[in-house]
Amino acid sequence: MSAIQTALGLVFQPTVLVTIFLSALFGLVVGAIPGLTATMAIALLVPVTFFMDPVPAVGAMVTCSAMAIFAGDIPGTLLRIPGTPASAAYTDEAYMMTRNGEGEIALGANLLFSVIGGLFGTVVLILSAPVLAEIALRFSSFEYFWLALLGLTCAVFIGTGSPVKGLVSLFIGLFVSTIGLNNPAGVPRFTFGNVELTGGVNFIAAMIGLFAVSEVFRFVISPRIQAGPQAVMGNLFRGWGRMMVQYWPQQLRGNVLGTIIGTLPGAGADIAAWVSYAVSKKMSRTPEKFGKGHVEGIIESTSSNNSALAGAWVPALVFGIPGDSITAVVIGVLYLKNMNPGPTIFLNNPQYIYAVFIIFILANLVMLPLGWAAIKGARTILRIPREILMPCILMFCIVGAFAINNSAFGVAVMLVFGVLGFMMEENDIPVAPCILGIVLGPTLEENFVTSMIKSDGSYLAFFERPIAGGLGVATLLVWLSPLLIMALRSRRVAFPGKG
Amino acid sequence: MRINDAITGAVLLAFAIGMFAYARTLPAIPGQEYGAAVFPMLIAMGLAGCGILMIASGCRHWQGAVAWNDWARTHHAWVRLAVVLALILAYILAAPILGFVPMSLVILLVFLLMMGVRWWIAAAVAVAATILIQQTFVGLLRVPLPLGLLGP
Repeated sequence: MSAIQTALGLVFQPTVLVTIFLSALFGLVVGAIPGLTATMAIALLVPVTFFMDPVPAVGAMVTCSAMAIFAGDIPGTLLRIPGTPASAAYTDEAYMMTRNGEGEIALGANLLFSVIGGLFGTVVLILSAPVLAEIALRFSSFEYFWLALLGLTCAVFIGTGSPVKGLVSLFIGLFVSTIGLNNPAGVPRFTFGNVELTGGVNFIAAMIGLFAVSEVFRFVISPRIQAGPQAVMGNLFRGWGRMMVQYWPQQLRGNVLGTIIGTLPGAGADIAAWVSYAVSKKMSRTPEKFGKGHVEGIIESTSSNNSALAGAWVPALVFGIPGDSITAVVIGVLYLKNMNPGPTIFLNNPQYIYAVFIIFILANLVMLPLGWAAIKGARTILRIPREILMPCILMFCIVGAFAINNSAFGVAVMLVFGVLGFMMEENDIPVAPCILGIVLGPTLEENFVTSMIKSDGSYLAFFERPIAGGLGVATLLVWLSPLLIMALRSRRVAFPGKG
Repeated sequence: MRINDAITGAVLLAFAIGMFAYARTLPAIPGQEYGAAVFPMLIAMGLAGCGILMIASGCRHWQGAVAWNDWARTHHAWVRLAVVLALILAYILAAPILGFVPMSLVILLVFLLMMGVRWWIAAAVAVAATILIQQTFVGLLRVPLPLGLLGP
């Protein structure tokens, strides 16, 4: 009980509450502007949280990401341009509703079910994390090796269109993580005598480059003409009661599926929304209405993407394995704050865990009034001229990358990764596996080398413990899945009657 | 600007070979088989595998080494891209000497004017953003941004 009281004391402080409020506003604005993603909001926020205490830092990131995922629905509904990739699944549907004059119902549903989805995911997080932590206490390097590998595997095979390009991105990230002295043997690797490189490549600078600077580059090559959106005039709360009653199965299914997908290491809110939209259409009694401005699929997938956000924190807090690129960054920050994620934090510093839970609940509750205000102010937010915004973002990136170590080296890292991220996106190589590789690389290597030394070089030892064996088989199955799918397809082609 | 997968694959393959060769030179810990070299060598092998797969798929869909999409045909886009790169480079090289405030003003002004913002709006935004960033990072977060010309 006392830990919960301590946690309440940690959260309910003026500075923490103001931080949460400001980052909520920041998340809403960044999420609502097309082209600026939730991950970019986090990338811009991290240099600021870097200098805060652990609790406000985590509070800022949790709130900002939740708001940005919701706010991505606003331009999707009004302009047919998703604000963040997590909204892309149902953008067409929501825009059709706007064209049918039902924009306020679509946005109202987005707001209501985002809040409920977020709270559902939070409840699952609160209930499951401590239980899983008990189990995780018995984990050895074998289990952690497989968990890290499973996370990276899912990121490559589930999160991307082409597994080969996903793997390229992952290997680049893993290579970057090997630079410097931070390895089990303490040998300088790939430093070529450069003193700055011995400290390794800072993942915050890399992330600012990959997710924010690359976006600035993309903007300058093709500044899009901004369309002026319609203001939302109607009553946002219209039909909330009816939708809750009529669509409760869809909502529940979205919440459950979203939380599960979020919990999967390597898959996050984007994928949750796509899967849930597809499931909703398949299970619907009126699938013919989908794509013509029907609220059913929107409810299911908007519930899903917000619950996935909280679900992604389960593996992040319990095992230190990120569920998506946002939690990957959060984990990096937690390490910097000496709040190392993993089962031991539940024993040694439970107040921090409770503080995270409280912040999750607060963030989702504060979404209701702030989200309402953001929808009402959407016209103004969407009219912020991009040609003024982007230079300011670039300057902010530069200062953020500089601030981490107070050296221009951080800016150089940011520049390199900005160009790299730009080139990767131009060639359809996804960026998210790269940042996961940078963050998880050291964990993967450490547990791999430790396990190899323990088992005296026998690979069989990786499958000897029951949980490690299960995780190992699961990982291998995901690896083999493209081959299995190909085999199934060719069978179908060979025997068309049996498909 | 889409580079053909075969070209990207070849670059990755070459990089992986270099990485493997370098990793082999890393010192081993006496008496232990698994030292600093194992992990980079595994990564290099994985990257080489991807490179070979990409070469294979690129050769099957060969349409020239580089496919230029719309933006890459206009020299405006290239100029703007070069200017932004130059601005970041300028910060890296000149900020320690000139300081944050002058560099920030210059970068913001050049970028804003390049995007066609009217000069008085550009000037106002540059000054306001510089003050805001300076106040947040130096005042609130106590980051010692380079003082340069404004320093003692």
